[in-house]
Amino acid sequence: MQVDKRFVPEGLLYARNDYWVKATADEAVIGLTAYGQDVTGDILYLELPPVGDSVSRGEDSGSIESGKWVGRLLPPVTGTVLERNSVLEEDPSGANQDPYGVGWLIRVRLADPSELEVLLSPAAYREWIEEQIRREQEEEGAL
Amino acid sequence: MSDVWRLLDTGTQPAANNMALERVILDARGRNLIPDTLHFLEFTPSVLVGYHQAVELEVDEHYCRRHGIDINRRISGGGAIYVDQGVLGWELVTGKDAPGIPGRLEEIYRLLCEAAIAGLERLGVPARFRPQNDIEVGGRKISGTGGAEAGNALIYHGTVLVDFDVETMIKCLRLPIAKLGDKLIQSFKERVISLREVLETPPPMAVIKQQMAEGFASVLGVRLEAGTLTGQEGELLDQELPRFQSDGWIRGPRRLQDNSLRAVDYKAPGGLIRISLRLDQARRRIKYAFITGDFFAYPERSILDLEATLKNVSSEPSVILQTVRSFFTTHQVQIPGVEPDDFFHALQAAIYQTGSGRKQSQANESFGGR
Repeated sequence: MQVDKRFVPEGLLYARNDYWVKATADEAVIGLTAYGQDVTGDILYLELPPVGDSVSRGEDSGSIESGKWVGRLLPPVTGTVLERNSVLEEDPSGANQDPYGVGWLIRVRLADPSELEVLLSPAAYREWIEEQIRREQEEEGAL
Repeated sequence: MSDVWRLLDTGTQPAANNMALERVILDARGRNLIPDTLHFLEFTPSVLVGYHQAVELEVDEHYCRRHGIDINRRISGGGAIYVDQGVLGWELVTGKDAPGIPGRLEEIYRLLCEAAIAGLERLGVPARFRPQNDIEVGGRKISGTGGAEAGNALIYHGTVLVDFDVETMIKCLRLPIAKLGDKLIQSFKERVISLREVLETPPPMAVIKQQMAEGFASVLGVRLEAGTLTGQEGELLDQELPRFQSDGWIRGPRRLQDNSLRAVDYKAPGGLIRISLRLDQARRRIKYAFITGDFFAYPERSILDLEATLKNVSSEPSVILQTVRSFFTTHQVQIPGVEPDDFFHALQAAIYQTGSGRKQSQANESFGGR
């Protein structure tokens, strides 16, 4: 199943490194965006942080393997892991096929809810990915 | 990318040292402690599994122990490989957001493989990029590549098979074959190629490094200056080495996924199709398919390319059918008496172990379920 890489649902916040955040008062669910999974490619393995671990904004918290590349999971907010999507660790295809649904990665208790303020609105994230897509097209033209 | 890169050559090292060095150089670049770097490395006999792989599933540990072959884990993804003195390792370490480094991973693979290919061409090797990230000569792999990232830095590395010992590789790795016969060994030999085979006499390692370095520099548009590990890198290496020598790193808390070996013989009008594959059932993916038979394929390399295309493909029937049909169309493959759908049915029979009334090999073995 192909997901439209430009799909940016309302009601979520976004980080420039292609994560989405669904926040309540003191909790947040985190996942890769449709654009994020598109640039990553077919995800073969995911390693998520254990429940109870502290994760920090932008700090290495796990791994994502696609096409012999091991990328790092860099959460867009700081907090304590309340739940991780263990189904994805068995079969990560959900992160590609349904990134905003079954493809969620972790749920955290927020350490500092003010971090949400620096995240992007759906409109701002749409602009950001359009910029990235333009850059990709220029690169393709240059190769 | 900066204009001047460091050219680093750390010579022959045991597996743990080489793997720790990669970690150290990547981290040091991520912390802006070092310049962009092209690193050459050579190996004592070693099996290196991919970051997420389980040693138990990929390696014949008993054989390795008896023959003094190191086992270690890479920081990059992909499958297990065997390396020894007949292999040159190369790696590029730079910034993820450096000018000229594409945003999409598949474009990074292409660019950095093309840089390695430029070096191989200087040696007289007609090498080509094969998606996703292999370098091949006439359909046969001469260099496998992979990558990893840390902070804002990336490492992209690969090998050049100089004088490759295929037989030892086959003995070290759990390949998709149940029992080694001369024919199978020959078939595996036909899937890889080394400089010795292309050039008859491989140039000395120093010449290979020099030409590879010039190839990388020309494609990346940079100048290389010979350098050594910095004091900080040396300190980081002292800290990291014990971890890379430990079972904790080598075995890691990896999940033992089902890794069944499936084999089937499928009779098509134009000949027998013999499929051996390793299947990751939990992830519903073909890990590796090995296709032989007594049919005649044009172009000759088609089957090797088909195997590369099937690597890590979903084992869902609709995906396999589409993958095989599209492969035959785009590669203009012709096999008298064998249709694309015969390969689909043969793959299905292997995946689901349904002989479908056709002769089925007895080579069914499972390393999984533990």
